[in-house]
Amino acid sequence: MIGRLSLTARIGVLFTLISASILLGLGGLISNSVERHFVDLDRAALQDKLHLIQEIGAESTDRADLARRLADVLHSHKDLAARIQLGRDVIYATPDAAALAMGDGVRDNSPVEDLIFWTRNGLSYRALEGEMVAPGAAPAPLSILVVLNTQHHARYMAIFQKTLVIYVLVATLLSGALGWLAAHSGLRPLRRMKTQAHSVNIKNLDQRMPVESVPVEMADLARTLNDMFQRLQIDFQRLTEFSSDLAHELRTPICNMLTETQVGLSQKRTVAQHEEILASNSEELQRLTRMVSDMLYLATTENGISLPNPEIVVLEDEVSALFDFYEALAEESRIALVWKGQGATRGDRLMIRRAISNLMSNALRHTSPGKSVEVSIETWGSGVTLHVSNEGTDIPTSSLPRLFDRFYRADSARAHPETGGAGLGLSITQAIMKAHGGKATVSSEAGKVRFSLHFTCEAI
Amino acid sequence: MKILIAEDEAKTGNYLRQGLSEAGYVADLVSNGIDGLHQSMEGGYDLAILDVMLPGMDGWQVLKNLRASGSDIPVLFLTAKDHVEDRVKGLELGADDYLVKPFSFSELLARVRTILRRGRTGTEVTLLKVMDLELDLLRRRVSREGKRIDLTAKEFGLLELLMRRQGEVLPRSLIASQVWDMNFDSDTNVIEVAIRRLRAKIDDPFQHKLLQTVRGMGYVIEEPEVPA
Repeated sequence: MIGRLSLTARIGVLFTLISASILLGLGGLISNSVERHFVDLDRAALQDKLHLIQEIGAESTDRADLARRLADVLHSHKDLAARIQLGRDVIYATPDAAALAMGDGVRDNSPVEDLIFWTRNGLSYRALEGEMVAPGAAPAPLSILVVLNTQHHARYMAIFQKTLVIYVLVATLLSGALGWLAAHSGLRPLRRMKTQAHSVNIKNLDQRMPVESVPVEMADLARTLNDMFQRLQIDFQRLTEFSSDLAHELRTPICNMLTETQVGLSQKRTVAQHEEILASNSEELQRLTRMVSDMLYLATTENGISLPNPEIVVLEDEVSALFDFYEALAEESRIALVWKGQGATRGDRLMIRRAISNLMSNALRHTSPGKSVEVSIETWGSGVTLHVSNEGTDIPTSSLPRLFDRFYRADSARAHPETGGAGLGLSITQAIMKAHGGKATVSSEAGKVRFSLHFTCEAI
Repeated sequence: MKILIAEDEAKTGNYLRQGLSEAGYVADLVSNGIDGLHQSMEGGYDLAILDVMLPGMDGWQVLKNLRASGSDIPVLFLTAKDHVEDRVKGLELGADDYLVKPFSFSELLARVRTILRRGRTGTEVTLLKVMDLELDLLRRRVSREGKRIDLTAKEFGLLELLMRRQGEVLPRSLIASQVWDMNFDSDTNVIEVAIRRLRAKIDDPFQHKLLQTVRGMGYVIEEPEVPA
């Protein structure tokens, strides 16, 4: 449930909760300390009166004198009641007898050490007890009870607390609203990105997220999204090019066959002529068949199939078998095949042989007579690299990374090579390497083109 | 030899039947899996060519039923899907071979002949002969008109394959696979060059040319039809 809540609502609710708890705490603290302050005031007032009574008692000559003096002093204090007793004998009491009588009954627990609290009939009282020396020669000290009616404080506290609660409520609601607003405006860049992302489709894959104008935290996200768009754009462009290339590659043989067949049918021809047409068609169809099976192979290999028969493959054995195969072709073009180094890797033997075969066939096609094709195997830390290099014309740096693209040919002029495959060989090699957790790379400098297959051992 | 073809695509089926008939086999065509199973169990065939995707009962099912009923008729699968699992499944069920569409007819014919030859034991030949060209398997020697011809190991292997299967048109892919163990679509130029070099040794110096190129199909060694 929380997970589905909008970010704005979530931040708003969180903000409200935080400010509510802070405000409540603060309110409680204030109300508590105000109350404490009142208690201190009351105690001070009661102690003051107690001392006054004790002083009057010391100055009084006898009990009548004491009562009179006390009545003089105390009668003007409306909220104050007092009683002086000797045992059960009341020497003096203020007229507010009700308050005094209650003090004798149940007393509420007192949070402050010496003060006595009680509340009756909606009125709150606080009291202090004390002793004084009796005027004249009395056998025992007199006990004093001073009671203060704190009703006005209680009323004030009630109003104060009510105001505090209202304030807390209003402030909480307000901060919640402000929090929502803050979250809403804070998330505006995110909404802008959403709108932006919403408008992206295959026709405008070149759109990018604004990186400069968004907050730092989102710039990272924007950059990541932009990278994703970049990759998608490149891949999509490749796919588009691929399908148009594919159509083009298919068009040539189909066009040849169609023309040939229709021209053949347009007149009576001899059996030999018909045979010639059929044979030529058969050649075109074989080219098409090979293209289709290469593409199927590429598709299955690129789809991350598990290797059919993983085993230890000794690379020099494969190279030697391939040298056997290409020997005649190389001799014919007076190209020397040179091999050095040793190494082994784990993988599917047939696939690896095919990957190397494609490189060698490619190298032989691009080597001029009298030069050589060199295969070298290097073992390094955790893997093996097999290089196939040949002397030939340099490939422009710009086309190097594209060499492994399907149907890509560095020399585009040679649209329909009689010798080569469909332009899928290097893509197949790359796909095979990726299926093995490795990769194929190419470099070209100083008249030497070098393709490398990097196998990592622990990847499989 | 009798071959049963189970293929629901009419055009493919008819051409397969025609091609196999002309290659000297008795070929029957059915267009669904159920007929395929019945015919192959009763018809006394030497080979069944099954399409995997058949109406009624697919090729796997037909093969499973065949093997369950104790029939050991060789089966060659045709399929439009090239998945390794499919290949493995087919071979596990007891298929003898597997061919992915589109395939060339010469490839199919070569595979059919391989399967049908498998059963025959016969005496091991030690000398292959086409007209005056002789290949001695024991001494690994080749001669024509009694004159010794020097061949490299791979040339010898190539000539041996062609002569063992004389009269059969062998597609380049089969040659690459049998002679060099290149079991994938490789550079077919290599085969052309190898054939040219072999021809230079066994044919060029002589009047009758034995090693023929069949355009669009492959290569064959046989006696020329019209010896003058």
